[in-house]
Amino acid sequence: MLGPSTTWYLAVAAVLFGIGTTGVILRRSPLIVLLSLEIMLNASNLALVGFSRHFASVDGQVFAISVMAVAAAEVCVGLGLIVAFTRRKMALDVDTLTELRG
Amino acid sequence: MMAGAWLCLLAPLAGALLITLAGTHISRSTAALISTGSVFVGFAGAVVAFVKVAGQSPDNRENLSTAYTWLGVGQFKVPMQILVDPISLTMMLIITGVGGLIVWYSIGYMKGEDEERRYFAYMAFFVFAMLMLVMGGNLLLLLVGWGLVGLASYLLIGFYHDRPEAVAAAKKAFIMNAIGDATMALGLFLLIAKTGTLDFSTTFYDASTGQLSSSTVNLVALGLLGGAVAKSAQLPLHTWLPDAMEGPTPVSALIHAATMVTAGVYLIVRTHSIFEAAPNVQHLSAIIGGVTIVVAGVIALVQWDIKRVIAYSTMSQIGYMFMAAGIGAYGYAMFHLMTHAFFKALLFLSAGVIIHHLAGEQDIRRMGGLRKVMPYTHAAFLVGALALAGIPPLSGFWSKDGIIASALAEGGALGYTLVAFGLLGALLTGAYTFRLYYLVFHGPPSDLVLEHSGGHGADDVADHEAHGHAEGPLSMLIPVGVLTVLAAIGGLLVIPGVWEPFLNWIDSAVEPLVTPTVAQEYATSVVAVTIAAVGIWLARRAFREARELVADGAVRTTLEHKLYFDEAYDALFSRPAQLVANRLRDDVEEPIVQGSLGEIGAGVSEVAGGTARLQSGLLRSYALVIAASVAVLVVVFVAVR
Repeated sequence: MLGPSTTWYLAVAAVLFGIGTTGVILRRSPLIVLLSLEIMLNASNLALVGFSRHFASVDGQVFAISVMAVAAAEVCVGLGLIVAFTRRKMALDVDTLTELRG
Repeated sequence: MMAGAWLCLLAPLAGALLITLAGTHISRSTAALISTGSVFVGFAGAVVAFVKVAGQSPDNRENLSTAYTWLGVGQFKVPMQILVDPISLTMMLIITGVGGLIVWYSIGYMKGEDEERRYFAYMAFFVFAMLMLVMGGNLLLLLVGWGLVGLASYLLIGFYHDRPEAVAAAKKAFIMNAIGDATMALGLFLLIAKTGTLDFSTTFYDASTGQLSSSTVNLVALGLLGGAVAKSAQLPLHTWLPDAMEGPTPVSALIHAATMVTAGVYLIVRTHSIFEAAPNVQHLSAIIGGVTIVVAGVIALVQWDIKRVIAYSTMSQIGYMFMAAGIGAYGYAMFHLMTHAFFKALLFLSAGVIIHHLAGEQDIRRMGGLRKVMPYTHAAFLVGALALAGIPPLSGFWSKDGIIASALAEGGALGYTLVAFGLLGALLTGAYTFRLYYLVFHGPPSDLVLEHSGGHGADDVADHEAHGHAEGPLSMLIPVGVLTVLAAIGGLLVIPGVWEPFLNWIDSAVEPLVTPTVAQEYATSVVAVTIAAVGIWLARRAFREARELVADGAVRTTLEHKLYFDEAYDALFSRPAQLVANRLRDDVEEPIVQGSLGEIGAGVSEVAGGTARLQSGLLRSYALVIAASVAVLVVVFVAVR
């Protein structure tokens, strides 16, 4: 098998996932939160592709592609929400957007 | 031939549906015409079927026609089928023939009534239900018809739904009938469990060849008898029939005289194989019939409502039919059923003409002297009354005496007791019928009668008649006329020893257990007619002396309370049930059920309030919780592995 071993792929994926999680938890701008979510999704894609390569099976790649499709759809909704917030001149701060409080 | 029978069954249904669906798009008279027409179309279908079946050989007159499988559960299949044989044909001809005349009569009687269309839809529906009952080719379809007939009777008794008494009477009839329906259904369930089918032929074969244990057959027969007793208003489930007179008079004639109440007799004759396998139950039905003859007869002696007298007389006459069916004289049971349909429908319809003429008055104390005001109705009523009392050569004479003669032929303690009941019944019939007749038609005209005959007395009657029939519209008088003829000559279908086509016709479908000899027939006739004449003479003497047949006193009070049946049922069933219900409401429903519901609601609401506080709406704290939970899960997963 050419290239680095699967462990490295997983390590990079774990680091990316950690960065993404941290971003979601710490950042307050919804735009950045979305970006961080994308990083998390791509971390999992990387892991899927890594495993796919490890087991010499395309299943993981198939999943990665469907994750990308879902991510694209999710970004559309998220960006749409952000545009709507901006139009209504609402603060782009997830800590103040608490209308769904029980 | 089967086309005629299916037409007979479906035409009234089509009529009922058409009137219902057309709603206010058709006029009231159109609805009446559709209803009458559909029933007469049914009659034509029945006649076609009759001609064909009468041409078949007497051994092979059972015609079963299956449309499709209506119900199938595993091995248990119920086809939608009709059975056309002499028994069901006789019933079909009576139901559509007499029924058609009664619906026709209703056109005049119900004119100007609100909701005429609803009435005519119900009438056609009733005829359909009754035909379903008698034509159903298996016991389940018979039960279907049985239930639909109960529903139609409920709807028609309660037709005047703004009158509380009518609504109460409708409910009473429905509940009493439901008791019978329940016992009948239980009997059928047992039959399904033991034979796996409700086919007439299979179940009857199993019953008559002893394949069913005697306890099974007895229970099934008892269940069927319960249904028959409730539907036919025999003791002890008879209390609904007199109250059912709250319905319009043609309904009383159709349901409570000519057709529905005779369904019990039809049931016993139809399922005779089961009853013959359970002779004790069959004899029980004869005894119930005998007791009902006498009890209903004595109660009829003191009633003041013209329709109630006739209603009790109906119970009493159906008692004769039960007696005949109970000793196995099926031909005479069906014969009396037919002649009774003629003369009792005639009596009800002539009573209806009187009630219509007197603007709804039903109390015979306010009538009197109608003989000269309403000569046509008088003649019709007299024919009906004589036929009911069993005076030759009118129809009731031939059929009733045949039943008493059959009881004589049965012999033994049972037979002679039944003969005694029958003869006592003949005396009572003569007495109560002619008490009614004299009070209504004889004596000086009462104020009410004078008022409704235009203020002029008997002298102007000729003038009255010159203006056509002032007694009522022609649509009422023609059916009465036809029924008068039928009640007069309908009995000539059986002249013992000379000419017995009706008995041969029924016997080709069901073999009688007893057949009276010609000598027994004529001996009974002489005695019965003498006794009936004594009854008539008693009524006449009491009327001449301006006194009642039953003097005031304890006996009369008891009879006026109808032997306290209603009071007894009230004390035995209604009151304890109400007591239990009230206790359950006060001690269980309100404190436990309702109280606990409130508590449960409050508790849920409190828990929800606490949980809602967790939902802060802060996105980042959600994310933190999710991340932390996943971390914990990962740790647990790794650790456990």
